[in-house]
Amino acid sequence: MAKRIAIIEDEAAIRANYSAAFSREGYEVIGFDAREPALNAFASRLPDLVVIDVNLKNDIEGGFELCRELRARSADLPIIFLTARDSEFDAVSGLRLGADDYLTKDISLPHLMARVAALFRRLDAMQQPQGQESTIRRGELEIDTDRMIVSWKSEPVGLTLTEFWLVHAMARYPGHVKNRQQLMDAAQAVLDDNTITSHIKRIRRKFAAVDDSFDAIETVYGMGYRWLGE
Amino acid sequence: MNLKRQLLLVSLLTLVLPWAGCEFISETESALRAGQQQMLSGTARAIAESLQQYGEDFPRPSSAPEHILGARLYAHALTREPTLDGYFDDWALSESSLESMRGIGGSIVYAAGTRDEQLYVYISVTDTSVVYAERAGAALDDGPPYSDRVSIISSSPPYLNERIEFAPEAPGNVVAYRETAFGIAAEPTIQATWQDVPRGYQLEARIPLSILGTHVGLIIGDTPEPASPPVRSSNFASQLPGRLATIQPDLQSVVGDLIQPGMRLLLTDAEGWRIANVGELQTRARPTGDAVSAWLRFTYDALVEKGTDARLSEPAASGREQQPYIQSALAGETAAGWYRSAGSGSAVVAVAVPVDLGDAVVGAVVLQQGTEEILSLTNQGLARLLNITLLTTVVVAAVLLGYATWLSRRIRRLSFAADDALDSQTHDGEFRLPSHDASDELGDLSRRFSFVLQQISEYNEYLRTLASKLSHELRTPLAIVTSSLENLEHEQLNEASARYTARAKDGADRLRKILGAMSEANRVEELVRNADAEVFDLKKVVGQAVSAYAGVFPERRFLFKPGPVDIHVLAAPELIVQMLDKLVDNAVDFSQPDDEIVVRLSTSDDEVDLSVTNPGPPLPETMRTQLFDSLVSVRSEQDDHHLGLGLFIARLIAEGHDGRIRADNVDDGVCFTVTLPTRQDAPGGSGESAGSPPRQG
Repeated sequence: MAKRIAIIEDEAAIRANYSAAFSREGYEVIGFDAREPALNAFASRLPDLVVIDVNLKNDIEGGFELCRELRARSADLPIIFLTARDSEFDAVSGLRLGADDYLTKDISLPHLMARVAALFRRLDAMQQPQGQESTIRRGELEIDTDRMIVSWKSEPVGLTLTEFWLVHAMARYPGHVKNRQQLMDAAQAVLDDNTITSHIKRIRRKFAAVDDSFDAIETVYGMGYRWLGE
Repeated sequence: MNLKRQLLLVSLLTLVLPWAGCEFISETESALRAGQQQMLSGTARAIAESLQQYGEDFPRPSSAPEHILGARLYAHALTREPTLDGYFDDWALSESSLESMRGIGGSIVYAAGTRDEQLYVYISVTDTSVVYAERAGAALDDGPPYSDRVSIISSSPPYLNERIEFAPEAPGNVVAYRETAFGIAAEPTIQATWQDVPRGYQLEARIPLSILGTHVGLIIGDTPEPASPPVRSSNFASQLPGRLATIQPDLQSVVGDLIQPGMRLLLTDAEGWRIANVGELQTRARPTGDAVSAWLRFTYDALVEKGTDARLSEPAASGREQQPYIQSALAGETAAGWYRSAGSGSAVVAVAVPVDLGDAVVGAVVLQQGTEEILSLTNQGLARLLNITLLTTVVVAAVLLGYATWLSRRIRRLSFAADDALDSQTHDGEFRLPSHDASDELGDLSRRFSFVLQQISEYNEYLRTLASKLSHELRTPLAIVTSSLENLEHEQLNEASARYTARAKDGADRLRKILGAMSEANRVEELVRNADAEVFDLKKVVGQAVSAYAGVFPERRFLFKPGPVDIHVLAAPELIVQMLDKLVDNAVDFSQPDDEIVVRLSTSDDEVDLSVTNPGPPLPETMRTQLFDSLVSVRSEQDDHHLGLGLFIARLIAEGHDGRIRADNVDDGVCFTVTLPTRQDAPGGSGESAGSPPRQG
């Protein structure tokens, strides 16, 4: 059965383009241009994944509101913010509301498809029993590549998809410096320097929330970042 | 010229006050004088009219033809009787009363005087060889042996023509011989003394006026030796001597009753010879003469009209009054004179009125009066005026100077504050320049300045956010284009369409990069605001970054010159490195392959300078500060990736860390320097120490 993807986006052309792209990938797509019709439609049946624009016509923070309501109804419904707003503050707000990813409209369709696919894959993997072969261990770090779950000292660290890919890219070869381009490729996104810096900062903070003394990610100034330790 | 000097110069205008005052005093004095002159001339005219009845007593101009009459001898009125001793010093006349004429041995001086109906004559002859007569009575002989002699010619043309001869045999009393129509005889009523002096001889004689005619002249005969006839010198050049001029006792007594005290009246005959002289000018002993007064007098003379020297108002020593105003009275015109003595301070007003008998002017009445009152009035006025106005000038100058100082200080403060406000590129809130609340023009100027600065600041703010706003607005349409193109790729396209699609994608990609760059500034600002600052070793971080640049830009050589000591700063290291990235990026773009880019750290006090120097073309002077503004670039060629945001971002980061950035042209290129405050304490803990957030942008 095809997965259902809902796109809530006030810009008709973008909605149509994304719908076409998702349809091509074999997904079932439903589009809404505002919060109310979407909520009404979701009342009877939740989609399998939601792509939300933060700014919905006159409803400036409508996307955030929608996200909050959806998250309240389902804890594991994948939610992706796709927005023209690129401020750090918006990203933090969006992610705090429980979104799985926060993307700017810069992202290319193939990258978007890859993410959606990854999210579905993770969702599927969650249904399956954990397989040892998909786990990478680096000292205290444990990465489940199928479920895309990272844990530190056996404590799960809640990372977004982008963050997961960044950690994965660094931790796969500890001690090797990953430059920005490599990280960008790994994250399947076009990110500028500052976005990467913010992401790394957020990742550190999330690990630090689990372990105060976390210092496994080192900044190599002028070059990039590397994962320390075994 | 600055404001202070200008106002000081303006204050000099107050010097016009003393000038105006002096003009006023001078006017007043002139008016008073004119009044006095008018009063005097009234009196003088009355006297002149009353004298018309004594017209007969005025010596009439001689009826004899002009060519046969010579110069006139003036007999001064003597105040006391001289002793006949051959000396002049007891005549009570000044030396200037002595007349002189040329003799063959030198000058001959003489004087005449009258007293008690006697004519006194004094003659001093320069003669180195005095020849005395060989016998008494030889005086009138015309043959040899000759001797030195003095002759007095007495005549009343056309009837009388007599001679009185003095030709002594020895010094001492001389017997005078008188030649009349009846012959020659010794004249016992005449007494004379001949005195030998080293340079010649002196003769003093007394002759009763009754035996003299109206015309009297002197002839001196000088004989070099008894055998030679004497060479004659006389005080008249023509055939007969002029009329003897002297005080007319009748007129003198008449006018003596007419004048008031404090006035002097002179009466002259038609030729200006003084025939009456009564009254004395009041010359009060004035309590002046000290230094201040002398100084005042000097000022007074400099500022006020100068009179003729007061000494000239005195009766002429020669007996003939030749002052211009008297001359013009004798010509028939009433005239006035004005005398002032610089030394004594005395001043005299004088008028001269003709005595006109209808057919001829027979003389002039000269009336003189001292003007002590006017003088002291003006002197006091002048003194007070000068004191007050000079004091005023000084006070006004001082006040203006103070005012100017105050004013120029306000203006300077305003100008400095405006400069500062322009220089400080970031500013929050309202501008308040000095004098903002003043109600004068400077206050207006200050408020206007504040307003303009506010506008500039708002405009700058607008420019600063323009890029990010623009990028934000453009992102949605760009997303439509890109997603459409990406969808298009999945359609069946012929070769041409695919090519065009590819080009369109390229274009959209470039547009995306541009938008990314434009929003970067905004993101950096946000980052700076939210960055977790930590204390770290700048030397280590910068060193690491510089060694990384060598790999990134293999065509440039990098040289890192750190200071000798560790440098600790409180900052977000990623941002500092990002800033360095921008500076190095800039340096690479403006240098040539193989150029050496120098990154230098130097500390001073509590600051550190992080500089990046590259060889390359110098910066235009006008761009040096604008360089760090948004969307400003000095790059000559259009470059898609450079919107002039790199240095703007560097500036945002520098200022976000309480630092500042500047660009300088140096000998070998361009140097960008970021100055950051340093921290004395060593890095606290490892990595994520949460310091205080940097200043809010």
